[in-house]
Amino acid sequence: MTGFITIFQREIARFLKVIVQTVITPFISSFLYLLIFGVSLGEQMQVHQGVSYLSFLIPGLMMMGLINNAFQNASSSVVSSKFSGDLEDLRVAPVTDQEIIWAMSLASLVRGTIVALITYSVGALFMYYRQGEWLMVAHPLTTLFFVVMAGLIFGMIGISIAFWATTFDQLSAFSAFILLPLTYLGGVFLSIEHLHPFWQAVSKANPLLYLINGLRYGILGVSDVNVWTAAVISTIGFVVFFAVAKFSLKKGSFQRW
Amino acid sequence: MNLPLEISNLRKAYKGGTVDAVKGVTFTVKPGEIFGLLGPNGAGKTTIISTITTLEKPTSGSVQVFGVDVQKDPLFTKRQIGVVHQEVITSGFFDVEEILTFHSGYYGLRNNKERIHFLLEKLSLFEHRHKKVKQLSGGMKRRLMIAKALVHNPKLLLLDEPTAGVDIRLREDLWRFVEELRNDGMSILLTTHYLEEAQQLCDRVGIINLGSLVELGETKAIIRQYTHKKIRVVLTEKHLLQSEYLREVIGKEYLFVVPQNKTLGEFLSEVTIPTALIQDIHIEEGDLEEAFLKLVSRKDVQVPL
Ligand SMILES: Nc1ncnc2c1ncn2[C@@H]1O[C@H](COP(=O)(O)OP(=O)(O)O)[C@@H](O)[C@H]1O
Ligand SMILES: [Mg+2]
Repeated sequence: MTGFITIFQREIARFLKVIVQTVITPFISSFLYLLIFGVSLGEQMQVHQGVSYLSFLIPGLMMMGLINNAFQNASSSVVSSKFSGDLEDLRVAPVTDQEIIWAMSLASLVRGTIVALITYSVGALFMYYRQGEWLMVAHPLTTLFFVVMAGLIFGMIGISIAFWATTFDQLSAFSAFILLPLTYLGGVFLSIEHLHPFWQAVSKANPLLYLINGLRYGILGVSDVNVWTAAVISTIGFVVFFAVAKFSLKKGSFQRW
Repeated sequence: MNLPLEISNLRKAYKGGTVDAVKGVTFTVKPGEIFGLLGPNGAGKTTIISTITTLEKPTSGSVQVFGVDVQKDPLFTKRQIGVVHQEVITSGFFDVEEILTFHSGYYGLRNNKERIHFLLEKLSLFEHRHKKVKQLSGGMKRRLMIAKALVHNPKLLLLDEPTAGVDIRLREDLWRFVEELRNDGMSILLTTHYLEEAQQLCDRVGIINLGSLVELGETKAIIRQYTHKKIRVVLTEKHLLQSEYLREVIGKEYLFVVPQNKTLGEFLSEVTIPTALIQDIHIEEGDLEEAFLKLVSRKDVQVPL
């Protein structure tokens, strides 16, 4: 237990040292996204009944920031530890793989949540300024559920990939060629209702669609997919990636680069 | 009583490696002793240490720490072990004291400030405790790694070439510290290149070459077995001396290389040297380096005369 608490504290302390990067980057990027897409582009768009494009966009951006930051936090922590060699310390010390996974993915969740909250705040200010109304959270517990799931799942994915990775390039390849397209095609910017039925079916095979729409349902009360389906798929994702992370720690490499 | 470390028939073949790194090694570390594992580069020393800490899994054979197999109950064995890796670890985010505090936490110690400060003092790092690792000199990094290995006061300390890159004065301080730890009851396994210091420190040594132990025993006994006494006789004037032990004559200096079991008395009565001509006699005992070189060259373990 002490091992878990220590690793968690260490992970938090680590990203607090780069707090500017943690806070400013999402602040600027969500500001830009909202400005370009939400305001200029979405002026006339109505996606769902009674929901402006601006408010539709906010949960999507929150989830995108959350997922990216959870993934980055875990993977860069493991990889930089591989680089300096102190990942071996964790293997040599009496801490269990479970403690490592939980501590690292929870810290990733914390960082992702900070980013999501910043995005939410920026979005809420935009909405107030444009539409004169505050963005309220429709279903707080549902919101919390999908935030926690997404943070943990992508923390674990980050851990898994970093343990197998042998170069930095492999990490950026995952971000650029898998994570980014899946987020963009997962309904961050567009409701899949507007797509051709074929592409709708394809989109439904994208697991990120369920996290994004789950959170959208939590905040706005509207979603492209059934919220229970989204919850079940997220839970399955959580179980699967926990197992993958455990396997990765067992078989992957703690060795320094 | 369970031995601090018991390695039996340890074999390790790396995946993709062409040769076995360790080929059936057996030895023990006894309570309160300093055991030296000596061998040239690539002999398999680090591999052996890695199997003890579970960084590597043995291909076959077993490693037991205080009677417990490291593969069966790693949480127990890891708690008993402190390890200083051969490669310097350079974690970039935290300062010296933070690193030691986190490291204590990995071993279940939440409030370890007293021990940390004790170690910082002991290893002359106290005034550097707020520095990042990259601000430390090579010797300081090495000492930080030693402090890390000791935060939880382990019963078995593994030192993988801990003095590589440390200057002579500091090296001697470190050896003194290692002896102190041993005197407090710690059992120590150390690998090193510095044979002189291994000779000074280690109660027993194992000499390893190409993955196999070529000799194992008390340091003194090994030196006695594999080295010769060198007797240098300086005469006041040249004289014809005849002996099977005579190796070299330089002017009025005569060098004899004599087996360790021959006493000086026996030697002097065999080589009749006119007493009046003797100006000086120097006796050099053999050292571990000599024994080591003989053993790892492996051409002939018997000492050629
Ligand atoms: N991770 C590894 N993969 C493949 N071969 C290795 C690995 N680590 C060490 N070796 C090989 O195993 C042998 C023993 O290495 P090592 O234990 O580091 O020796 P030493 O510490 O005595 O210098 C060497 O031939 C080395 O090249
Ligand atoms: Mg080595």
